[in-house]
Amino acid sequence: MTDVIEITELHKNYSELQVLQGLSLRVAAGEVYGLLGPNGVGKSTLIHLMLGFLRPSRGRLRIFGDSNLERVRARVGYIPERQRYHTRYTPREYLRFLGSFSGLAGADLHERVERELATVGLRDAAERNLGTFSKGMLQRLGVAQALLTDPDLLLIDEPTSGLDPAGQREVIELLAAVRDRGHTVFLCTHYLHEVELLCDRVGVLAGGRITTEAQVADLRDVAGSVRVQVGALSLEQRRHLEALGVGVRADAQSVRINPNTPALQAAVLRALLDAGVAILALEPLESPLERLYLQAISGKLAVAEPTVLPPAAWAAPFKSAPAAATSSTDAPSGEGDTLLNELLGRTDGQEAGGRRQDAE
Amino acid sequence: MRLLRFTGFTLLEYLRSGRVAIEIIAVMATYFVFLRRPMDAEYFFSVAGIFTPVLTLYTMAAFIGLGDRPQGYVLLSRGVGRATFLLGIFLAACTIVAGAYGLLCLTVALLNRPIDLDLLGWLLGTLPLLLNIGLLAALMLMLSPLVFPTSWRLVVLGLIALAFSSNFIGGTLLQALPETLRSLLRALQALLGGPLVPAFYGFQLAVTRDYSTPTAYANLLAQASLLVSLLGLALYAFSRRDLIFSSQ
Repeated sequence: MTDVIEITELHKNYSELQVLQGLSLRVAAGEVYGLLGPNGVGKSTLIHLMLGFLRPSRGRLRIFGDSNLERVRARVGYIPERQRYHTRYTPREYLRFLGSFSGLAGADLHERVERELATVGLRDAAERNLGTFSKGMLQRLGVAQALLTDPDLLLIDEPTSGLDPAGQREVIELLAAVRDRGHTVFLCTHYLHEVELLCDRVGVLAGGRITTEAQVADLRDVAGSVRVQVGALSLEQRRHLEALGVGVRADAQSVRINPNTPALQAAVLRALLDAGVAILALEPLESPLERLYLQAISGKLAVAEPTVLPPAAWAAPFKSAPAAATSSTDAPSGEGDTLLNELLGRTDGQEAGGRRQDAE
Repeated sequence: MRLLRFTGFTLLEYLRSGRVAIEIIAVMATYFVFLRRPMDAEYFFSVAGIFTPVLTLYTMAAFIGLGDRPQGYVLLSRGVGRATFLLGIFLAACTIVAGAYGLLCLTVALLNRPIDLDLLGWLLGTLPLLLNIGLLAALMLMLSPLVFPTSWRLVVLGLIALAFSSNFIGGTLLQALPETLRSLLRALQALLGGPLVPAFYGFQLAVTRDYSTPTAYANLLAQASLLVSLLGLALYAFSRRDLIFSSQ
């Protein structure tokens, strides 16, 4: 796949302040990349460098293979962190102006403006003054303006910053829908759940460089610890569950698995199913991404080159769980997911059937 | 075309903000205070020649404030290049000041027309006056935080102060300086005051409307050249600097 973003040894200083110190990064076409980092670490600076608002102090930055960022700007959409727009306009007027600045005109401009107003759910408010908009509505307008030219690359800076929970949810749902359009997306945030929900790959920015990168799917595979909410458990059932592994702790209404492994999780769920106990919910208590992030920003993963973590690296701590945890079942890694799907009634077909037989 | 659209966008925002009321009130106040008495063209252009630069100072400052906001990031990411952005702000401000001047002229023409001013005379007086509006606006734009970093602004302001220094360093104070320093100061005043000549002569030309000598045409050319140079310098500096808008 072609790299849409190529950054090599990028440095950015503001007088004596070194913000980026040899940052290297590549984002492939169609990929959704999440950049995590605490406030003030240089995430917005990086986006502004990609947009050409700032000049690198040193290093190479190419977008679509071109280091002249003015030339490729028409292919880039930008959703800024702060919902600051020209409030004397209605959203329709504002989008029409922005579209015309981008070279759109006539019926094409009209069609795109109406399409994006509908996409972000602002058609009913299209004639209202932007000064009357809530932060959530302004952020939706931000999404609409970024999509107006159907860009190949979307740069998104802290999309839910300053929004209330309802507004955050709205914007994340909107971005999830946008993601499915197939744009390459570069998302800066300090909210882990945004990365988990939206991104294919994640990098952690700390100390002016990417210290860690990982595939989000790999991180999703295994939650470090989980809690299974159940209807009710008898004392005998609790003892039976706790005998499955030293990481299993049960009370009358829930079972905790810490450290968690797919095999141990599958064994617990199977035991609950066999006992006919109602399973209400399966919740992660600590996500691998959270652990990755905290270790990266605390400097525990700070190395000369970014650490690209394969799934095995994340499974490793959990594989070191006591032998009793894994010896209770020979279920292969991932069977926990299959069982969960089974519980949810989502599996069918030969393979799932075969697995059911194996489990029996 | 993009420049015109962006200028229109900026102008429309300014008009809708209601700030244009200040310019309208300034026009009315100037008319009622200075221009209601019987007057000739020379008096009218003397008043207009002071009114327009003062108004340019206010209006240009207001437009620089409009440009120096985080809202600019979205515009610049949407096809408005840096040059278009800066020129759009400049043109929008000049349009408002020129419009205010036009309103003043219209008011005067309708209510108290100067006895010796015809359309041609008005055009001849207006041309250097408009060029002076552009010159001052371009200078302000160049010295704004949008374009020049603080250190450069201080350097340019220092040079301008040095050019005007003959007004306040003279007589006994000048005599008290060592001969070498005195010569150096005179040379610097002459050198740095040079670019200011077209602006001052432009004001004089507007008042006299005397185009009988080639100097008048040469001055118009000098005003235009200075305007282009200032704008060019501002555009160059703006194109090369890190864009960090004020976070109002």
